[in-house]
Amino acid sequence: MKRKSLFSLLLALCMMLSLAACGGSSDTSKADSASGDTAAAGASDEKIVIGVISPNTGALAAYGNGVVTGADLAVEQINAAGGILGRQVELIKTDDQSDPTECLNAFNSLVAQGVGMIVGSATSGCTSAITDAANEEEICLLSPTATADSITTEDDYVFRACYADSFQGAIAAAYAKQAGFDKVGVVYCAADVYSKGLYDSFSSACGKYGIEVVDAQSTASLDVQDYTNQFASMVKAGVDFVYAPFYYDVIGPYVVPQARAAGYSGVIMGADGYDTTPDYVVDGADLSAFNKVYWTNHYDPTDSSEKVSSFVKAYEDKYGSVPSAFAATAYDCVYMYKAAIEAAGSASPAAVRDALADTSTVYECVTGTFSLDESGTPVKGAAIIAFESDGSSVTSKLLDVVSKLPE
Amino acid sequence: MSTFFQTLIVGLRLGSIYALIALGYTMVYGIIRLINFAHGDFIMVGGYTMIFVVPAVLALGLPAWAAVVAAIAVCVLVGMATELIAYRPVRKKGTAMTALITAIAMSLFLENLAQAIPAIGPNPKVASQIFSAGGISIGPVTLEYTTIITIVISAVVMIVLWEFTQKTRLGRAMRCVSEDKAAATLMGINVNRTILLTFAIGSGLAAVAALMYMAQYPKVYTTMGSLLGLKAFVSAVLGGIGIIPGAVLGGIVIGLVESFTTSYISSSMADTFVFLILIVVLIIKPAGILGRNAGEKV
Repeated sequence: MKRKSLFSLLLALCMMLSLAACGGSSDTSKADSASGDTAAAGASDEKIVIGVISPNTGALAAYGNGVVTGADLAVEQINAAGGILGRQVELIKTDDQSDPTECLNAFNSLVAQGVGMIVGSATSGCTSAITDAANEEEICLLSPTATADSITTEDDYVFRACYADSFQGAIAAAYAKQAGFDKVGVVYCAADVYSKGLYDSFSSACGKYGIEVVDAQSTASLDVQDYTNQFASMVKAGVDFVYAPFYYDVIGPYVVPQARAAGYSGVIMGADGYDTTPDYVVDGADLSAFNKVYWTNHYDPTDSSEKVSSFVKAYEDKYGSVPSAFAATAYDCVYMYKAAIEAAGSASPAAVRDALADTSTVYECVTGTFSLDESGTPVKGAAIIAFESDGSSVTSKLLDVVSKLPE
Repeated sequence: MSTFFQTLIVGLRLGSIYALIALGYTMVYGIIRLINFAHGDFIMVGGYTMIFVVPAVLALGLPAWAAVVAAIAVCVLVGMATELIAYRPVRKKGTAMTALITAIAMSLFLENLAQAIPAIGPNPKVASQIFSAGGISIGPVTLEYTTIITIVISAVVMIVLWEFTQKTRLGRAMRCVSEDKAAATLMGINVNRTILLTFAIGSGLAAVAALMYMAQYPKVYTTMGSLLGLKAFVSAVLGGIGIIPGAVLGGIVIGLVESFTTSYISSSMADTFVFLILIVVLIIKPAGILGRNAGEKV
């Protein structure tokens, strides 16, 4: 017994020492970069290091691929144009396998390498695993696509380049108002955080805009196969606009075809969960059901604006494919760091954090021109994408851009 | 009134699928008193088989539903392998409880095995159109042909199974095994072979159920068998497990309860009511709707 307690005491001592060592090393690295800045504002050859955490392997590898390629492209462009404050930029990429534990490991390894600014991670689940650590270690964390409301809070080191889930619902309501619908319905899943969160924000925004939600129907779970009764209820309520925040895996095979079969011919609107739906439709069925299906997305790759088209062209030249929303937001993250470092005149994490926390800074990005709110979430609009079908295939096109929520 | 008809049709559509799956549960339970929890996952096996075979079938110029032949073959093999590798050795050594746990383990094993196969993976797959669209219009609502076909198939399977177990030699052997294994052996019945055959029939039915499921709900994923299997199991218990017509009755009742709850009570409470009905029926009639308290089953 005694032996055991002695052993655990020793262990605890070791841990304390190692913790102290950690703190020491990050302190010195901060001091290093700070002194580098003061020594020579323009001509330092010390590189600015930005860490990237993304799910590069595992089920969400496609997301990670988008983040890494988008960030790489941005760094390549910045370095070719002379870097930030005259210094070249280097990325250190780590993989979280879309697993929160691995995400924390990746974060710790970046901190151990003296990284003070991180782009990551792609999902809300992983990102929320490292937000506390980022605040404790005083490391800037800028997530490209973690949309959960709880990710960013005031007075912290965590920011993001995407809107929050609560905002997506409000955008859909703003679109409904703009398109002239004053009576709408909702079909959602009360048992799912994403669906329920979007329903809540949609319906409260409807209240604000004077739109009446005449019918709200839920499903028992995300495993439900039949949505016919819910949409029959919409038909009965006489609405021509239904907000249905679900994921692509039910929208494609179940929701849209069943809604049309139930006699509902109006608009079906959703959120970024509709992305990739055209890959999940039934071959051989009448796909004209997908006309009048709209959804909110982070950006639209076919946007003809100078900013988007030059980004899409550069990306296509380099990688040979159309950049996903993940690539676009990660690309924006790197440029946001560039703007913040230039505003701060320094690459020290604390100075960059203060620059990012400045709500008056306007970022001109691919996914919109925006500034960050007090919590660190962009105040920006969204692209509204429409599915189009000739009956045998489904394509996407930009329907509208809601750049600002109406008062 | 149109809401009523619409709800009725959705209920029948769900119910006919549950009925078809419940027949497989009841079949196996009736013979060896084992609740084969892996039965729902046999549906998944059949579903993925069809996903991979349908393009080949279409390339041969055959209708898409012909892929069910391959699905039946694969499901029968998987079902028989499950019995030979997992259930039979456990049944020899253990009790009814160990057999039940093995069935649950088998279910989880099949789900995880499917995820580990690269061609399947964790992402869902959407099937092609299997039957051409269309149906009988009753006012504003449409009763789809696929729903009618599913109900007809359930009824035919029910009658054939009933006749098979009552009239044929093999069917009578099955009933003997279900009543008394030792006595059946004394009568010269090969008990193990009879049980194996039961599994083959039950799994083959799972493939047919998979076809009808995919015709109406064209998405397959590795864990699709769990909730589907659970509801079908509830249907079998509700109708009186081990009783062939009971499975069909139970399935239709569960489907209707689910649909009418969605339309008339609360759309988010459909599953709650399904399981509530189960508890109420079991309190009033523990053996199920068609169950008798004693006597032979199947």
